[in-house]
Amino acid sequence: MKLASVDYVILALYFAFVLGIGWRLRKRISSSGDFLTSGRSVPVWITSLAFVAANLGAVELVGMAGSGAKYGIMTAHFYWLGAIPAMLFMGIFMMPFYYGSKARSVPEYLKMRFDEKTRAFNAFSFAIMTIFSSGISMYALGLLLHLVLGWSFDMSVLASAAIVLAYTFLGGLTSAIYNEVLQFLLIVMGFAPLAILSVNKAGGWQGIVARLPPNMTHAWRYMGSPTDNPMGVEIFAMVAGLGFVLSFGYWCTNFLVVQRAMAADSMSAARRTPLIGTLPKMFLPFIVILPGIAALVLSKMNLGYAFPLKATGGPDYDKVLTTLMAQFYPAGLLGVGLTGLMASFMSGMAGNVTAFNTVFTYDIYQSYIRPGAPDRHYLTVGRVTTVVGVLLSIGAAYLCTLFNNIMDLLQLVFGVVNAPLFATFLLGMFWKRTTAHGAFAGLSIGTAAAILTLSTTVAEGNGGWIVQLHTFPSQMAQNFWIAIVAFTTNFVISIAVSMFTTPRTDKDMEGLVYGLTKVPHDATAKWYQRPAPLTVIVVILLLILNIWFR
Amino acid sequence: MDLRVPSGSFFTLIGLILLGMGAFAPHMGAAPLTTENVNLYSGAAMLVFGLFLLLMAWRAAHRGTGSNP
Repeated sequence: MKLASVDYVILALYFAFVLGIGWRLRKRISSSGDFLTSGRSVPVWITSLAFVAANLGAVELVGMAGSGAKYGIMTAHFYWLGAIPAMLFMGIFMMPFYYGSKARSVPEYLKMRFDEKTRAFNAFSFAIMTIFSSGISMYALGLLLHLVLGWSFDMSVLASAAIVLAYTFLGGLTSAIYNEVLQFLLIVMGFAPLAILSVNKAGGWQGIVARLPPNMTHAWRYMGSPTDNPMGVEIFAMVAGLGFVLSFGYWCTNFLVVQRAMAADSMSAARRTPLIGTLPKMFLPFIVILPGIAALVLSKMNLGYAFPLKATGGPDYDKVLTTLMAQFYPAGLLGVGLTGLMASFMSGMAGNVTAFNTVFTYDIYQSYIRPGAPDRHYLTVGRVTTVVGVLLSIGAAYLCTLFNNIMDLLQLVFGVVNAPLFATFLLGMFWKRTTAHGAFAGLSIGTAAAILTLSTTVAEGNGGWIVQLHTFPSQMAQNFWIAIVAFTTNFVISIAVSMFTTPRTDKDMEGLVYGLTKVPHDATAKWYQRPAPLTVIVVILLLILNIWFR
Repeated sequence: MDLRVPSGSFFTLIGLILLGMGAFAPHMGAAPLTTENVNLYSGAAMLVFGLFLLLMAWRAAHRGTGSNP
């Protein structure tokens, strides 16, 4: 792929705007709260788009197109079965406790509801995960730009990191959020033409259906047995593992996304953030997954498009998106698409860095290293942590270059850490009898159960380091079952230990638990500003999509 | 700062660049599988979107109800 000068102009223009937004927002920062939590002042349409954009990193964008080609329309379950129901649950049921508790982070909520040890567990594991996610994202992008455009890996990584550092350092979370919205709009604008062009060329959806085996174009019909569908998953593992445990665990407890909603300017806006976010989220599969499915069809049509292959011979799914861009985008639009790709990387990285600096400053530094300092001090620590976070991410990116399979391994580790978490929040928020010891025991044993499952089962060569008791048909199936085991273990152990330990008094838990929290009813809100009507609309649209692509 | 101003300006500019490419250099850097003038169509869409954001921001500023500090 070769870029023309107009493409470079578009790329430069974008960087200028991103840095300009950071520069303009620098004056808004006068306290650690302004820098790390946006002073809870961001309008709801912005938090909603940022909520979706923070998750739309380069790894997701490239990965979803690849999964489209590998698994077909079943990939959309990550959106229609996974993300959307979890986002609705988060807005309707969980946000009142996060926002109402006045916690500044998810680990801080755990401290208020339970005690120090659960917070420390979550804060440390989350901090480490954010650094590695942002490192992986950077590594993936550097590699992609090197392979596709021949740019130097070092230059791509360092220049992108420098830009992210500049705007997050200047304007803090607000700057990250504002830029995420610009990035989101650019990703949609930059990749929607690709979806339209590639699907059209493949003969529209009808043409795709006619040219592919039926299990690639039906999301539900072939899930009776793992051998019938390309993902190797049966309906129970899909619904319970992905639809419930993993998605709710990610969208409802991952501070990276929760932080965006917590930056909203009122409780009502915070609740609406994930609800409104579902609307763009629901239609993203058409932009990010469909081109991948179309690529598979195009490669069978003798149009001159060959499916990208690895040096070793197998299909290279990571290159699906960029090879399509090279085939369909003329100079100009190619610049917009490439800028969108870099933007997606930056939104993934900035999201991780701004979540990392908040958790480090409030949940690690202020809690264990130096409590009780004046706020000015924590603002400085927040800024320094931003620099350190970016440097650590660069380090993680280079670590990925040293070890070939570290990316796969880390992806497995994230799954293990994420899997049991949702049980802790579910019990903590909705069962006031849950005790601090119960939560901690459940979370630690749940995590251990996840690691044990991974070490005793094998899928596509992963896991089974101790013994190989069971072989899963695919890595997806393994991930989903690990999540189910971890969640169930955490749930059962938390309840059992809670029954034998003393709960806190009701007075201590006001605003933290269901039944002891007054959810304000905003009588002046118009109908479309209330959670219930919004949810009904989303559920109807979601049912239509699932039935359409069943 | 109203985010609609920088986003609107950005898409207006990109829209104009693509429209210019589509109108004056329709065959420059053409892509193998695309026959339509996609720069022209996408540029027009981005220009309209950019101007729409700017219009919304302008209306909010004139009503004095700017949603952003």
